[in-house]
Amino acid sequence: MPQAKTDVTKRNIDFATRTATKIWKEEPSAHNPYLAEECLCHGYSLIELMEGRSFVDTLFLLFQGELPSPDHARLLEMTLVAFCNPGPRHPATRAAMNAGVGKTSPAHLLPIGLNVLSGSHLGGQEVEEAIRFLRKHAGDLPNEIALALLAPNRPENGDFHLAPGFGSRFGGIDPMPKKVADILTAHHSSGAALQWGKAFAETIRPDNMGWLSTGVVAAVLCDLGFHPQAGAGMFQLICAPGILAHGLELANKPISAMPFLDEEHYVIEHNTPR
Amino acid sequence: MSLSITHHDNTAFWDNRRGVIRTRIGGWIPGRAVYCHGYDMMEDLVGKVSYFQVLMLNATGRLPDRRLADWMEAYFIGNSYPDARIWCNQIGSLAGTMHTSPLTATSAGILASDSKMYGPGTVMAGVNFFVEALAKKMNGLSAEEIVTDQQRHPKAKPVIIGYARPIANGDERIATLDLLAKKLGFERGEHLTLAFEIEQVIYNKTKERMNLLAYVLPFLCDQGYTAREIYRLLSALVYAGVVACYGEAADQPGEAFFPLQCNDIYYQGKPLRKIPEKKCLS
Repeated sequence: MPQAKTDVTKRNIDFATRTATKIWKEEPSAHNPYLAEECLCHGYSLIELMEGRSFVDTLFLLFQGELPSPDHARLLEMTLVAFCNPGPRHPATRAAMNAGVGKTSPAHLLPIGLNVLSGSHLGGQEVEEAIRFLRKHAGDLPNEIALALLAPNRPENGDFHLAPGFGSRFGGIDPMPKKVADILTAHHSSGAALQWGKAFAETIRPDNMGWLSTGVVAAVLCDLGFHPQAGAGMFQLICAPGILAHGLELANKPISAMPFLDEEHYVIEHNTPR
Repeated sequence: MSLSITHHDNTAFWDNRRGVIRTRIGGWIPGRAVYCHGYDMMEDLVGKVSYFQVLMLNATGRLPDRRLADWMEAYFIGNSYPDARIWCNQIGSLAGTMHTSPLTATSAGILASDSKMYGPGTVMAGVNFFVEALAKKMNGLSAEEIVTDQQRHPKAKPVIIGYARPIANGDERIATLDLLAKKLGFERGEHLTLAFEIEQVIYNKTKERMNLLAYVLPFLCDQGYTAREIYRLLSALVYAGVVACYGEAADQPGEAFFPLQCNDIYYQGKPLRKIPEKKCLS
Protein backbone atom coordinates (compact mmCIF):
# COMPACT_ATOMS: atom_id res chain seq x y z
CA MET A 1 0.00 0.00 0.00
CA PRO A 2 1.49 3.37 -0.92
CA GLN A 3 1.98 5.45 2.20
CA ALA A 4 1.86 9.15 2.70
CA LYS A 5 5.12 10.47 4.12
CA THR A 6 4.99 11.94 7.60
CA ASP A 7 7.56 14.34 8.94
CA VAL A 8 9.23 12.60 11.85
CA THR A 9 12.31 14.18 13.34
CA LYS A 10 14.29 12.71 16.20
CA ARG A 11 14.56 15.14 19.09
CA ASN A 12 17.96 16.39 20.12
CA ILE A 13 17.72 15.21 23.72
CA ASP A 14 20.87 15.27 25.81
CA PHE A 15 20.65 11.80 27.33
CA ALA A 16 22.99 10.87 30.20
CA THR A 17 25.94 8.74 29.18
CA ARG A 18 25.81 6.94 32.54
CA THR A 19 22.99 6.32 34.99
CA ALA A 20 23.61 8.17 38.27
CA THR A 21 22.69 7.21 41.82
CA LYS A 22 23.23 8.58 45.31
CA ILE A 23 22.14 5.35 46.94
CA TRP A 24 24.66 2.70 46.10
CA LYS A 25 28.30 2.51 45.16
CA GLU A 26 29.91 -0.64 43.90
CA GLU A 27 33.71 -0.68 44.06
CA PRO A 28 34.94 -2.77 41.15
CA SER A 29 37.09 -5.79 41.82
CA ALA A 30 40.70 -5.30 40.68
CA HIS A 31 40.55 -8.39 38.47
CA ASN A 32 37.03 -7.98 37.04
CA PRO A 33 35.30 -4.63 36.50
CA TYR A 34 31.89 -6.32 36.33
CA LEU A 35 32.19 -7.66 39.90
CA ALA A 36 31.85 -5.55 43.04
CA GLU A 37 34.46 -5.94 45.75
CA GLU A 38 32.61 -3.65 48.18
CA CYS A 39 29.16 -2.04 48.29
CA LEU A 40 28.33 1.25 49.97
CA CYS A 41 24.81 2.25 50.93
CA HIS A 42 24.73 6.04 51.22
CA GLY A 43 28.39 5.85 52.22
CA TYR A 44 28.14 3.00 54.74
CA SER A 45 29.78 -0.32 54.02
CA LEU A 46 27.15 -2.98 53.46
CA ILE A 47 29.27 -5.48 55.38
CA GLU A 48 29.45 -3.12 58.37
CA LEU A 49 25.70 -2.55 58.19
CA MET A 50 25.16 -6.29 58.13
CA GLU A 51 27.31 -6.74 61.22
CA GLY A 52 26.13 -3.74 63.23
CA ARG A 53 22.66 -2.62 62.17
CA SER A 54 19.14 -4.05 61.85
CA PHE A 55 17.15 -4.58 58.68
CA VAL A 56 14.82 -1.75 59.72
CA ASP A 57 17.78 0.64 60.06
CA THR A 58 19.08 -0.35 56.63
CA LEU A 59 15.63 -0.08 55.06
CA PHE A 60 15.26 3.46 56.39
CA LEU A 61 18.78 4.33 55.24
CA LEU A 62 18.08 3.11 51.71
CA PHE A 63 15.16 5.48 51.27
CA GLN A 64 16.12 8.43 53.47
CA GLY A 65 19.89 8.54 52.99
CA GLU A 66 20.60 8.56 56.73
CA LEU A 67 20.27 6.00 59.52
CA PRO A 68 17.11 6.48 61.60
CA SER A 69 16.96 7.74 65.17
CA PRO A 70 16.03 4.97 67.62
CA ASP A 71 12.52 6.46 67.80
CA HIS A 72 12.05 6.45 64.05
CA ALA A 73 13.44 2.92 63.80
CA ARG A 74 10.96 1.77 66.44
CA LEU A 75 8.04 3.44 64.67
CA LEU A 76 8.95 1.78 61.37
CA GLU A 77 9.50 -1.59 63.04
CA MET A 78 6.09 -1.51 64.77
CA THR A 79 4.47 -0.63 61.43
CA LEU A 80 6.26 -3.46 59.64
CA VAL A 81 4.92 -5.91 62.21
CA ALA A 82 1.40 -4.46 62.34
CA PHE A 83 0.85 -4.59 58.58
CA CYS A 84 2.99 -7.63 57.65
CA ASN A 85 -0.11 -9.48 56.45
CA PRO A 86 -3.26 -8.05 54.85
CA GLY A 87 -4.84 -11.39 55.80
CA PRO A 88 -6.38 -14.26 53.81
CA ARG A 89 -9.56 -12.31 52.95
CA HIS A 90 -7.79 -9.36 51.37
CA PRO A 91 -8.03 -9.49 47.55
CA ALA A 92 -4.24 -9.10 47.19
CA THR A 93 -3.58 -12.11 49.42
CA ARG A 94 -6.35 -14.05 47.71
CA ALA A 95 -4.73 -13.37 44.36
CA ALA A 96 -1.51 -14.99 45.62
CA MET A 97 -3.53 -17.86 47.10
CA ASN A 98 -5.41 -18.39 43.83
CA ALA A 99 -2.08 -18.47 42.02
CA GLY A 100 -0.69 -20.89 44.60
CA VAL A 101 -3.56 -23.34 44.44
CA GLY A 102 -3.62 -22.89 40.65
CA LYS A 103 -0.03 -24.21 40.55
CA THR A 104 1.39 -20.98 39.18
CA SER A 105 5.17 -20.92 39.47
CA PRO A 106 6.04 -20.01 43.10
CA ALA A 107 8.27 -17.24 41.71
CA HIS A 108 5.14 -15.40 40.57
CA LEU A 109 3.08 -15.54 43.78
CA LEU A 110 4.48 -12.39 45.34
CA PRO A 111 4.42 -10.17 42.19
CA ILE A 112 0.84 -11.26 41.49
CA GLY A 113 -0.28 -10.37 45.01
CA LEU A 114 1.63 -7.09 44.98
CA ASN A 115 0.11 -6.12 41.62
CA VAL A 116 -3.34 -6.46 43.13
CA LEU A 117 -2.16 -4.49 46.15
CA SER A 118 -1.39 -1.50 43.93
CA GLY A 119 -4.99 -0.32 43.66
CA SER A 120 -6.62 2.90 44.72
CA HIS A 121 -8.97 1.04 47.10
CA LEU A 122 -7.06 -0.19 50.18
CA GLY A 123 -3.89 -0.51 48.09
CA GLY A 124 -0.68 1.26 47.30
CA GLN A 125 -2.21 4.09 45.29
CA GLU A 126 -4.44 4.96 48.22
CA VAL A 127 -1.37 5.19 50.50
CA GLU A 128 0.26 7.60 48.07
CA GLU A 129 -2.89 9.71 47.91
CA ALA A 130 -3.26 9.56 51.70
CA ILE A 131 0.27 10.92 52.22
CA ARG A 132 -0.56 13.78 49.85
CA PHE A 133 -3.80 14.38 51.75
CA LEU A 134 -2.06 14.43 55.15
CA ARG A 135 0.68 16.75 53.88
CA LYS A 136 -1.80 19.11 52.23
CA HIS A 137 -3.96 19.47 55.33
CA ALA A 138 -1.25 19.40 58.02
CA GLY A 139 -2.05 23.04 58.87
CA ASP A 140 -5.83 22.68 58.73
CA LEU A 141 -8.23 21.72 61.49
CA PRO A 142 -9.25 18.03 61.13
CA ASN A 143 -12.90 18.70 61.98
CA GLU A 144 -13.19 21.46 59.36
CA ILE A 145 -11.72 19.20 56.67
CA ALA A 146 -14.02 16.35 57.70
CA LEU A 147 -17.03 18.65 57.54
CA ALA A 148 -16.14 19.78 54.02
CA LEU A 149 -15.57 16.19 52.82
CA LEU A 150 -18.74 14.85 54.36
CA ALA A 151 -20.81 17.38 52.46
CA PRO A 152 -21.03 15.44 49.17
CA ASN A 153 -23.52 12.61 49.07
CA ARG A 154 -22.23 9.37 50.45
CA PRO A 155 -22.90 6.55 47.95
CA GLU A 156 -25.82 4.33 48.83
CA ASN A 157 -23.95 1.06 48.28
CA GLY A 158 -20.50 -0.07 49.23
CA ASP A 159 -17.90 1.64 51.33
CA PHE A 160 -17.10 5.31 51.33
CA HIS A 161 -13.58 6.68 51.72
CA LEU A 162 -14.26 10.32 52.42
CA ALA A 163 -10.52 10.93 52.15
CA PRO A 164 -7.73 8.59 51.06
CA GLY A 165 -6.88 6.36 54.03
CA PHE A 166 -10.05 7.14 55.97
CA GLY A 167 -13.55 5.76 55.66
CA SER A 168 -15.69 2.71 56.24
CA ARG A 169 -14.83 -0.93 55.66
CA PHE A 170 -17.69 -3.38 55.10
CA GLY A 171 -20.02 -0.72 56.38
CA GLY A 172 -18.23 -0.11 59.67
CA ILE A 173 -15.07 1.08 61.40
CA ASP A 174 -12.21 -1.38 60.89
CA PRO A 175 -11.03 -2.15 64.43
CA MET A 176 -7.50 -3.38 63.65
CA PRO A 177 -6.15 -0.22 61.97
CA LYS A 178 -7.74 1.76 64.79
CA LYS A 179 -6.01 -0.36 67.46
CA VAL A 180 -2.68 -0.08 65.66
CA ALA A 181 -3.11 3.67 65.22
CA ASP A 182 -4.03 4.08 68.89
CA ILE A 183 -0.81 2.33 69.94
CA LEU A 184 1.31 4.26 67.43
CA THR A 185 -0.19 7.64 68.31
CA ALA A 186 0.32 6.92 72.04
CA HIS A 187 3.99 6.07 71.43
CA HIS A 188 6.38 8.95 72.01
CA SER A 189 7.87 8.44 68.53
CA SER A 190 4.62 9.34 66.77
CA GLY A 191 4.59 12.56 64.78
CA ALA A 192 2.25 15.25 63.52
CA ALA A 193 0.60 13.21 60.76
CA LEU A 194 -0.38 10.37 63.12
CA GLN A 195 -1.77 12.89 65.60
CA TRP A 196 -3.69 14.74 62.86
CA GLY A 197 -5.05 11.43 61.55
CA LYS A 198 -6.16 10.44 65.05
CA ALA A 199 -8.13 13.67 65.42
CA PHE A 200 -9.59 13.28 61.93
CA ALA A 201 -10.62 9.65 62.61
CA GLU A 202 -12.25 10.77 65.85
CA THR A 203 -14.23 13.46 64.01
CA ILE A 204 -15.67 10.99 61.48
CA ARG A 205 -16.44 8.27 64.06
CA PRO A 206 -20.10 9.33 64.50
CA ASP A 207 -20.50 8.66 60.75
CA ASN A 208 -19.25 5.10 61.32
CA MET A 209 -15.94 5.74 59.58
CA GLY A 210 -12.37 5.79 60.77
CA TRP A 211 -8.75 4.88 60.03
CA LEU A 212 -8.13 2.45 57.19
CA SER A 213 -4.92 0.42 57.04
CA THR A 214 -3.76 2.60 54.15
CA GLY A 215 -4.27 5.75 56.23
CA VAL A 216 -2.25 4.45 59.17
CA VAL A 217 0.67 3.41 56.98
CA ALA A 218 0.48 6.75 55.15
CA ALA A 219 0.60 8.69 58.43
CA VAL A 220 3.63 6.71 59.64
CA LEU A 221 5.45 7.19 56.32
CA CYS A 222 4.57 10.88 56.42
CA ASP A 223 6.00 11.22 59.95
CA LEU A 224 9.14 9.35 58.89
CA GLY A 225 9.68 11.81 56.04
CA PHE A 226 8.80 9.57 53.10
CA HIS A 227 7.73 11.25 49.87
CA PRO A 228 4.20 10.42 48.64
CA GLN A 229 5.68 8.65 45.60
CA ALA A 230 7.27 6.09 47.94
CA GLY A 231 3.91 5.34 49.54
CA ALA A 232 2.60 2.69 47.15
CA GLY A 233 5.81 0.69 46.98
CA MET A 234 6.45 0.91 50.72
CA PHE A 235 2.95 -0.38 51.39
CA GLN A 236 3.60 -3.28 49.01
CA LEU A 237 6.90 -3.98 50.76
CA ILE A 238 5.32 -3.87 54.21
CA CYS A 239 2.45 -6.23 53.26
CA ALA A 240 4.61 -8.59 51.17
CA PRO A 241 5.50 -11.22 53.81
CA GLY A 242 1.91 -12.25 54.53
CA ILE A 243 0.93 -12.28 50.86
CA LEU A 244 3.80 -14.64 50.05
CA ALA A 245 3.20 -16.85 53.09
CA HIS A 246 -0.46 -17.39 52.21
CA GLY A 247 0.36 -18.04 48.55
CA LEU A 248 2.99 -20.61 49.48
CA GLU A 249 0.69 -22.30 51.97
CA LEU A 250 -1.63 -23.24 49.10
CA ALA A 251 1.05 -23.98 46.50
CA ASN A 252 1.39 -27.61 47.56
CA LYS A 253 -2.29 -28.27 48.04
CA PRO A 254 -4.71 -29.75 45.49
CA ILE A 255 -6.97 -27.40 43.49
CA SER A 256 -9.85 -28.62 45.64
CA ALA A 257 -8.30 -26.85 48.65
CA MET A 258 -10.06 -23.60 47.72
CA PRO A 259 -13.70 -23.05 46.75
CA PHE A 260 -14.68 -23.30 43.08
CA LEU A 261 -18.30 -22.20 43.02
CA ASP A 262 -20.90 -24.59 41.64
CA GLU A 263 -23.34 -23.35 39.00
CA GLU A 264 -25.92 -22.61 41.67
CA HIS A 265 -23.61 -19.98 43.12
CA TYR A 266 -22.32 -18.66 39.80
CA VAL A 267 -25.27 -16.72 38.46
CA ILE A 268 -25.17 -15.50 34.87
CA GLU A 269 -27.70 -12.70 34.84
CA HIS A 270 -27.84 -11.93 31.10
CA ASN A 271 -28.09 -14.54 28.42
CA THR A 272 -28.93 -12.44 25.42
CA PRO A 273 -26.44 -10.45 23.40
CA ARG A 274 -26.31 -6.84 24.52
CA MET B 1 -25.69 7.82 64.39
CA SER B 2 -24.95 6.71 67.93
CA LEU B 3 -22.45 3.92 68.33
CA SER B 4 -23.37 2.00 71.47
CA ILE B 5 -22.08 -1.43 72.46
CA THR B 6 -25.13 -3.04 70.84
CA HIS B 7 -24.66 -1.21 67.54
CA HIS B 8 -24.49 -3.41 64.43
CA ASP B 9 -23.14 -2.21 61.10
CA ASN B 10 -25.43 -2.58 58.11
CA THR B 11 -23.68 -5.25 56.03
CA ALA B 12 -26.59 -6.19 53.75
CA PHE B 13 -24.69 -5.02 50.63
CA TRP B 14 -21.92 -7.54 51.30
CA ASP B 15 -24.20 -10.26 52.70
CA ASN B 16 -26.00 -10.34 49.33
CA ARG B 17 -22.70 -11.04 47.60
CA ARG B 18 -21.16 -13.48 50.05
CA GLY B 19 -20.61 -16.98 48.66
CA VAL B 20 -21.98 -16.15 45.24
CA ILE B 21 -20.73 -14.55 42.04
CA ARG B 22 -23.39 -12.71 40.03
CA THR B 23 -22.20 -11.79 36.59
CA ARG B 24 -23.27 -10.17 33.37
CA ILE B 25 -20.16 -11.15 31.42
CA GLY B 26 -20.99 -14.82 31.13
CA GLY B 27 -19.22 -18.02 32.11
CA TRP B 28 -18.82 -21.71 31.56
CA ILE B 29 -21.63 -24.09 32.32
CA PRO B 30 -19.97 -27.50 31.90
CA GLY B 31 -21.92 -29.77 29.59
CA ARG B 32 -24.01 -26.88 28.25
CA ALA B 33 -22.20 -23.88 26.86
CA VAL B 34 -19.74 -21.08 27.40
CA TYR B 35 -21.56 -17.77 27.47
CA CYS B 36 -19.76 -14.57 26.54
CA HIS B 37 -21.78 -11.40 27.04
CA GLY B 38 -24.87 -13.28 25.92
CA TYR B 39 -23.23 -15.01 22.96
CA ASP B 40 -22.61 -18.74 22.85
CA MET B 41 -18.84 -18.81 22.43
CA MET B 42 -18.61 -22.02 20.40
CA GLU B 43 -21.72 -21.35 18.30
CA ASP B 44 -21.47 -17.61 17.71
CA LEU B 45 -17.84 -16.55 18.11
CA VAL B 46 -15.15 -19.20 17.53
CA GLY B 47 -14.34 -19.34 13.81
CA LYS B 48 -16.91 -16.64 13.04
CA VAL B 49 -15.47 -13.42 14.41
CA SER B 50 -11.89 -12.21 14.85
CA TYR B 51 -9.88 -12.36 18.05
CA PHE B 52 -9.90 -8.57 18.25
CA GLN B 53 -13.70 -8.54 18.03
CA VAL B 54 -13.84 -10.84 21.06
CA LEU B 55 -11.19 -8.82 22.88
CA MET B 56 -13.26 -5.69 22.35
CA LEU B 57 -16.45 -7.55 23.32
CA ASN B 58 -14.88 -8.72 26.56
CA ALA B 59 -13.38 -5.32 27.36
CA THR B 60 -16.56 -3.33 26.73
CA GLY B 61 -19.51 -5.74 26.59
CA ARG B 62 -20.25 -4.77 22.97
CA LEU B 63 -19.30 -6.79 19.89
CA PRO B 64 -17.85 -4.35 17.34
CA ASP B 65 -18.14 -4.88 13.61
CA ARG B 66 -15.22 -6.56 11.91
CA ARG B 67 -13.79 -3.41 10.32
CA LEU B 68 -13.38 -1.66 13.67
CA ALA B 69 -11.68 -4.73 15.12
CA ASP B 70 -9.40 -4.85 12.07
CA TRP B 71 -8.53 -1.19 12.53
CA MET B 72 -7.78 -1.88 16.21
CA GLU B 73 -5.55 -4.78 15.27
CA ALA B 74 -3.63 -2.52 12.90
CA TYR B 75 -3.21 -0.01 15.72
CA PHE B 76 -1.81 -2.78 17.96
CA ILE B 77 0.63 -3.73 15.18
CA GLY B 78 1.74 -0.10 15.15
CA ASN B 79 2.67 -0.44 18.81
CA SER B 80 4.74 -3.58 18.37
CA TYR B 81 8.14 -2.04 17.59
CA PRO B 82 10.79 -4.65 18.41
CA ASP B 83 13.20 -2.00 19.73
CA ALA B 84 14.92 -2.82 23.03
CA ARG B 85 15.58 0.85 23.78
CA ILE B 86 11.91 1.57 24.36
CA TRP B 87 11.27 1.46 28.09
CA CYS B 88 8.70 -1.34 28.32
CA ASN B 89 10.55 -3.39 25.71
CA GLN B 90 13.84 -3.11 27.57
CA ILE B 91 12.09 -4.57 30.61
CA GLY B 92 11.29 -7.56 28.39
CA SER B 93 14.98 -7.79 27.45
CA LEU B 94 16.10 -7.47 31.07
CA ALA B 95 13.68 -10.23 32.07
CA GLY B 96 14.99 -12.32 29.17
CA THR B 97 18.59 -11.91 30.25
CA MET B 98 17.57 -13.08 33.73
CA HIS B 99 16.01 -16.14 32.05
CA THR B 100 12.56 -15.50 33.50
CA SER B 101 9.52 -17.10 31.92
CA PRO B 102 8.06 -15.28 28.88
CA LEU B 103 4.95 -14.52 30.92
CA THR B 104 6.97 -12.74 33.58
CA ALA B 105 8.65 -10.65 30.89
CA THR B 106 5.51 -9.74 28.99
CA SER B 107 3.44 -8.99 32.06
CA ALA B 108 6.25 -6.81 33.48
CA GLY B 109 6.64 -5.00 30.15
CA ILE B 110 2.90 -4.49 29.78
CA LEU B 111 2.77 -3.17 33.35
CA ALA B 112 5.54 -0.70 32.51
CA SER B 113 3.36 0.75 29.75
CA ASP B 114 0.96 1.93 32.47
CA SER B 115 2.93 5.17 32.21
CA LYS B 116 2.09 8.84 32.31
CA MET B 117 4.46 9.37 29.37
CA TYR B 118 3.48 6.70 26.85
CA GLY B 119 1.24 3.68 26.34
CA PRO B 120 -2.18 2.90 27.82
CA GLY B 121 -1.31 4.76 31.05
CA THR B 122 -1.96 8.01 29.19
CA VAL B 123 -5.48 7.08 28.09
CA MET B 124 -7.59 8.49 30.92
CA ALA B 125 -6.03 11.94 30.88
CA GLY B 126 -5.90 11.93 27.06
CA VAL B 127 -9.54 11.00 26.52
CA ASN B 128 -10.70 13.40 29.22
CA PHE B 129 -8.90 16.20 27.40
CA PHE B 130 -10.56 15.46 24.05
CA VAL B 131 -14.01 15.00 25.59
CA GLU B 132 -13.71 18.30 27.48
CA ALA B 133 -12.22 20.01 24.43
CA LEU B 134 -15.19 18.98 22.29
CA ALA B 135 -17.59 20.24 24.96
CA LYS B 136 -15.75 23.58 24.86
CA LYS B 137 -16.01 23.65 21.07
CA MET B 138 -19.74 23.00 21.33
CA ASN B 139 -19.89 25.98 23.68
CA GLY B 140 -18.34 28.14 21.01
CA LEU B 141 -14.63 28.08 21.86
CA SER B 142 -12.15 27.96 18.99
CA ALA B 143 -9.30 25.44 18.81
CA GLU B 144 -6.98 28.35 19.54
CA GLU B 145 -8.87 29.11 22.77
CA ILE B 146 -8.93 25.45 23.75
CA VAL B 147 -5.14 25.30 23.44
CA THR B 148 -4.71 28.56 25.33
CA ASP B 149 -6.71 27.02 28.19
CA GLN B 150 -3.94 24.42 28.53
CA GLN B 151 -1.19 27.02 28.90
CA ARG B 152 -0.13 27.98 32.41
CA HIS B 153 0.55 31.51 31.18
CA PRO B 154 0.39 33.10 27.71
CA LYS B 155 4.06 32.44 26.91
CA ALA B 156 4.15 28.89 28.32
CA LYS B 157 4.28 25.92 25.97
CA PRO B 158 0.87 24.19 25.79
CA VAL B 159 1.22 20.78 27.45
CA ILE B 160 -1.36 18.42 25.99
CA ILE B 161 -1.15 14.64 25.99
CA GLY B 162 -0.87 13.44 22.42
CA TYR B 163 1.01 16.47 21.16
CA ALA B 164 4.47 15.81 22.59
CA ARG B 165 5.93 12.47 21.60
CA PRO B 166 9.01 11.39 23.55
CA ILE B 167 12.19 10.98 21.48
CA ALA B 168 10.75 12.30 18.18
CA ASN B 169 8.41 14.97 16.85
CA GLY B 170 5.77 13.63 14.46
CA ASP B 171 4.44 10.11 14.11
CA GLU B 172 4.91 7.80 11.15
CA ARG B 173 1.86 5.70 12.08
CA ILE B 174 -0.86 8.31 11.75
CA ALA B 175 -0.91 8.54 7.95
CA THR B 176 -0.97 4.74 7.64
CA LEU B 177 -3.80 4.30 10.14
CA ASP B 178 -5.73 7.21 8.64
CA LEU B 179 -5.47 5.64 5.20
CA LEU B 180 -6.67 2.34 6.61
CA ALA B 181 -9.60 4.07 8.33
CA LYS B 182 -10.62 5.64 5.00
CA LYS B 183 -10.23 2.31 3.22
CA LEU B 184 -12.46 0.66 5.82
CA GLY B 185 -15.06 3.37 5.28
CA PHE B 186 -14.74 5.34 8.52
CA GLU B 187 -15.65 8.99 8.31
CA ARG B 188 -13.77 11.51 10.39
CA GLY B 189 -15.84 12.20 13.52
CA GLU B 190 -16.11 15.34 15.60
CA HIS B 191 -13.47 14.40 18.20
CA LEU B 192 -10.90 13.57 15.53
CA THR B 193 -11.73 16.65 13.48
CA LEU B 194 -11.07 18.78 16.55
CA ALA B 195 -7.84 16.86 17.28
CA PHE B 196 -6.51 17.89 13.85
CA GLU B 197 -7.64 21.50 14.40
CA ILE B 198 -5.74 21.50 17.69
CA GLU B 199 -2.70 20.06 15.96
CA GLN B 200 -2.69 22.95 13.52
CA VAL B 201 -2.81 25.48 16.36
CA ILE B 202 -0.01 23.75 18.27
CA TYR B 203 2.08 23.38 15.11
CA ASN B 204 1.77 27.08 14.43
CA LYS B 205 2.82 27.87 18.01
CA THR B 206 5.53 25.29 18.67
CA LYS B 207 6.12 23.23 15.51
CA GLU B 208 5.03 20.14 17.49
CA ARG B 209 3.03 17.50 15.62
CA MET B 210 0.36 15.22 17.06
CA ASN B 211 1.44 11.72 17.92
CA LEU B 212 -0.50 8.50 17.49
CA LEU B 213 -2.32 8.93 20.79
CA ALA B 214 -3.92 12.21 19.70
CA TYR B 215 -5.15 10.40 16.61
CA VAL B 216 -6.31 7.13 18.17
CA LEU B 217 -8.08 8.42 21.29
CA PRO B 218 -10.40 10.85 19.45
CA PHE B 219 -11.02 8.18 16.79
CA LEU B 220 -12.16 5.74 19.48
CA CYS B 221 -14.23 8.46 21.18
CA ASP B 222 -15.94 8.96 17.84
CA GLN B 223 -16.71 5.23 17.81
CA GLY B 224 -18.61 5.66 21.09
CA TYR B 225 -16.08 4.33 23.58
CA THR B 226 -15.52 5.93 26.99
CA ALA B 227 -12.15 6.64 28.61
CA ARG B 228 -12.46 3.63 30.93
CA GLU B 229 -13.38 1.35 28.04
CA ILE B 230 -10.44 2.54 25.95
CA TYR B 231 -8.04 2.03 28.91
CA ARG B 232 -9.25 -1.56 29.13
CA LEU B 233 -9.16 -2.09 25.37
CA LEU B 234 -5.53 -1.01 25.17
CA SER B 235 -4.22 -2.80 28.25
CA ALA B 236 -2.00 -5.25 26.29
CA LEU B 237 -1.03 -2.72 23.62
CA VAL B 238 2.74 -3.23 23.84
CA TYR B 239 2.69 -7.01 24.23
CA ALA B 240 4.18 -7.99 20.87
CA GLY B 241 7.16 -5.62 21.08
CA VAL B 242 8.01 -6.83 24.58
CA VAL B 243 7.87 -10.50 23.63
CA ALA B 244 10.27 -9.87 20.72
CA CYS B 245 12.81 -8.23 23.02
CA TYR B 246 12.37 -10.91 25.66
CA GLY B 247 12.95 -13.73 23.19
CA GLU B 248 16.20 -12.43 21.80
CA ALA B 249 17.68 -11.83 25.26
CA ALA B 250 16.37 -15.11 26.69
CA ASP B 251 18.12 -17.07 23.93
CA GLN B 252 21.50 -15.68 25.02
CA PRO B 253 23.54 -16.60 28.13
CA GLY B 254 22.40 -14.89 31.33
CA GLU B 255 23.38 -11.22 31.77
CA ALA B 256 24.58 -11.04 28.15
CA PHE B 257 22.13 -8.23 27.34
CA PHE B 258 23.55 -4.71 27.75
CA PRO B 259 25.87 -5.53 30.72
CA LEU B 260 27.29 -2.78 32.93
CA GLN B 261 30.63 -2.56 34.69
CA CYS B 262 30.64 -1.14 38.23
CA ASN B 263 31.88 2.21 36.96
CA ASP B 264 29.19 2.42 34.30
CA ILE B 265 27.03 3.69 37.16
CA TYR B 266 27.90 7.22 38.26
CA TYR B 267 27.87 7.30 42.05
CA GLN B 268 26.91 10.74 43.34
CA GLY B 269 26.28 9.83 46.98
CA LYS B 270 28.17 10.18 50.25
CA PRO B 271 31.78 8.98 50.41
CA LEU B 272 32.71 6.07 52.66
CA ARG B 273 31.82 6.84 56.29
CA LYS B 274 31.83 4.99 59.60
CA ILE B 275 28.57 3.77 61.10
CA PRO B 276 27.79 5.87 64.18
CA GLU B 277 27.65 4.09 67.51
CA LYS B 278 24.11 2.94 68.12
CA LYS B 279 22.29 4.63 70.97
CA CYS B 280 20.04 2.56 73.21
CA LEU B 281 16.36 2.59 72.35
CA SER B 282 14.69 5.27 74.38
